Amino acid sequence: MNAKHAFKLWMLGFCGMATLAVTPVLDVTPAFAHGERSQEPFLRMRTVNWYDTEWVGKSTKVNDVTELRGKFHLSEDWPRAVVKPNRTFLNIGSPSSVFVRLSSKINGTPMFVAGPMEIGRDYEYVVTLKARLPGHHHIHPMFAVKDAGPIAGPGGWMDITGRYEDFTNPIKTLTGETFDSETKGTATGIMWHLFWAAVAIFWVGFFMIRPMYLIRARVLAAYGDEILLDPIDRKVGIAVLVFTVTVVTVGYLSADAQYPVTVPLQAGEAKVKPMPVKPNPFVVEVTHAEYDVPGRALRMTLHATNNGTQPVTIGEFTTAGIRFTNKTGKAKLDPNYPAELVAADGLTMDNEAPIQPGQTVDIHVESKDVLWEVQRLVDILHDPDQRFAGLLMSWTESGERLINPVWAPVLPVFTRLGA
Amino acid sequence: MFRTDEIIKAAKLPPEGVAMSRHIDYIYFIPILFVTIVGTFHMHFDLLAGDWDFWIDWKDRQWWPIVTPITAITFCAALQYYNWVNYRQPFGATITILALLAGKWVTIWAAWWWWSNYPYNFVMPSTLLPSAIVLDIILLLTRNWTLTAVIGAWLFAILFYPTNWAIFAYSHTPVVIDGTLLSWADYMGFAYVRTGTPEYIRMIEVGSLRTFGGHSTMISSFFAAFASSLMYVLWWQFGKFFCTAYFYLTDDRQRTTKVHDVFAYATLAHSNKATGGKA
Repeated sequence: MNAKHAFKLWMLGFCGMATLAVTPVLDVTPAFAHGERSQEPFLRMRTVNWYDTEWVGKSTKVNDVTELRGKFHLSEDWPRAVVKPNRTFLNIGSPSSVFVRLSSKINGTPMFVAGPMEIGRDYEYVVTLKARLPGHHHIHPMFAVKDAGPIAGPGGWMDITGRYEDFTNPIKTLTGETFDSETKGTATGIMWHLFWAAVAIFWVGFFMIRPMYLIRARVLAAYGDEILLDPIDRKVGIAVLVFTVTVVTVGYLSADAQYPVTVPLQAGEAKVKPMPVKPNPFVVEVTHAEYDVPGRALRMTLHATNNGTQPVTIGEFTTAGIRFTNKTGKAKLDPNYPAELVAADGLTMDNEAPIQPGQTVDIHVESKDVLWEVQRLVDILHDPDQRFAGLLMSWTESGERLINPVWAPVLPVFTRLGA
Repeated sequence: MFRTDEIIKAAKLPPEGVAMSRHIDYIYFIPILFVTIVGTFHMHFDLLAGDWDFWIDWKDRQWWPIVTPITAITFCAALQYYNWVNYRQPFGATITILALLAGKWVTIWAAWWWWSNYPYNFVMPSTLLPSAIVLDIILLLTRNWTLTAVIGAWLFAILFYPTNWAIFAYSHTPVVIDGTLLSWADYMGFAYVRTGTPEYIRMIEVGSLRTFGGHSTMISSFFAAFASSLMYVLWWQFGKFFCTAYFYLTDDRQRTTKVHDVFAYATLAHSNKATGGKA
């Protein structure tokens, strides 16, 4: 190796080290949540339309109880590519079990197991959570559909303070004992694992203390196995066999005596009734929809009729947990809703006037914001089924909210010229 | 106490060869054989029976005692072939399950506890060590792999549930949450959130086995025993296929013969007569 060669190697090493050193400097942003933006927009827009999501108690101490609650509508425009919600489970999208889930109810029915839901209906959920792991956590409601997978709802940040070491979760059983979910059974399990590992190591060790491989292979090849089969191996084998079977039997019987009352694992089906259908005097149909790619806007033409007795004002369009509001909708916004999911002035109409009772109008509604790109909803244009769905929120003069599911095929507008 | 001297003498190795063979034993056995089994079998087992072994709320009376022994006996049979047929060592199954559990506990500590923060009791694995020890002893006592497939493999599966009942009996204690009856295991599965594992993924007593007289566990265990027996035969043969070494010898008259005496390979290869083969 000459000096030139050494210098080349040194330079290569230096470049490698420099690359490693610079990498963390180039990208210092933390990882955000669970890749929910990677879920195809047809999944997020046309299956579960989440609304009224609340992350109660944005900061909790370890052992404190909080809630995640809200409502969802199962879209009438459910994609053909997604299995129908015949077996569904309301889950929590969180980075591991940072909260322990104490209770989960949909329309008041406990949701320990999965069950069917009806397309086109609304459901209200309340999940009670107990803070377990300190940190700054991104929490989603999540709707899992069997054979389709989990569908993430909007994510909000929840903080947990305190020390994990202080966490306990004692639960009283039906037999009157109190089990702590963090520790119950751990010591017994580890004890049995160590015990059987010791027996197994003894058994293998009994053969390890003598020549194991090469010598035995030579003897076996040369003379057969008569010399190798030591009579003491059989005696010890019988002793270990009797010992093992005895300990298994005693262990089984003693556990049975210690826990005489047991039930099999429970796995039925949750029977959840949807929320009653609320009469809605405001009838809306989408007659045309297009997505303006350079303008980052979804434009709809609505054919709307007000069959009610009060004027109605459109205030919000929400899809995939993203909320586009105008002045009316902005006034109704929950200030705790994650700001990164709201386009507060993102909704405009060609006619902002309230729709009067008995009036039928065609309105051009535009929901425009960079969120279409940031949340990767623009990817509907890469679908084999280019449609959108969401909820249109309107308010009567007296403040009653009217919710209209809307859906339609989307035509792309690729250039400003076509806009 | 042992026949060690007699065996060493029969091996016809010089003292330094005997000493070297022990070094090879230690180097080969722990860093190579054991770690290889950890690496290969742990992954294999987790892909087939992983969820039943990871989660406490998957350990039902029906599928858990079926899936786990049938999956676990595979490598046990193959490793028994290797250790027994080549060395007459009756610990193939035990070392396999020891390696599996070593891998399991590394995962439980590193992946489930340290990384994912699930408590140990939620992800406590089952143990098959008594089953494996009994399987090895049956092979030692019968010296016959067919009898081991019938007696040993059956015991391997039958012992699984009672062995693990000592660890998991408590998890079947009933609790009532929100007016709903659950076993403690169900409650754990509900309480500790698994974002990517919704409840319906569990396979809890589904199928026709549970409809037969209500004795789910007994029926499942006997079915597992029967299936384990078949699996044992299959994987013993896999062991045979992968452990059979041979080479081809071409003599002076250009006749080629298949030779299984691999110890002769070095000598013959040196004289340039051995060709091809797996040796």
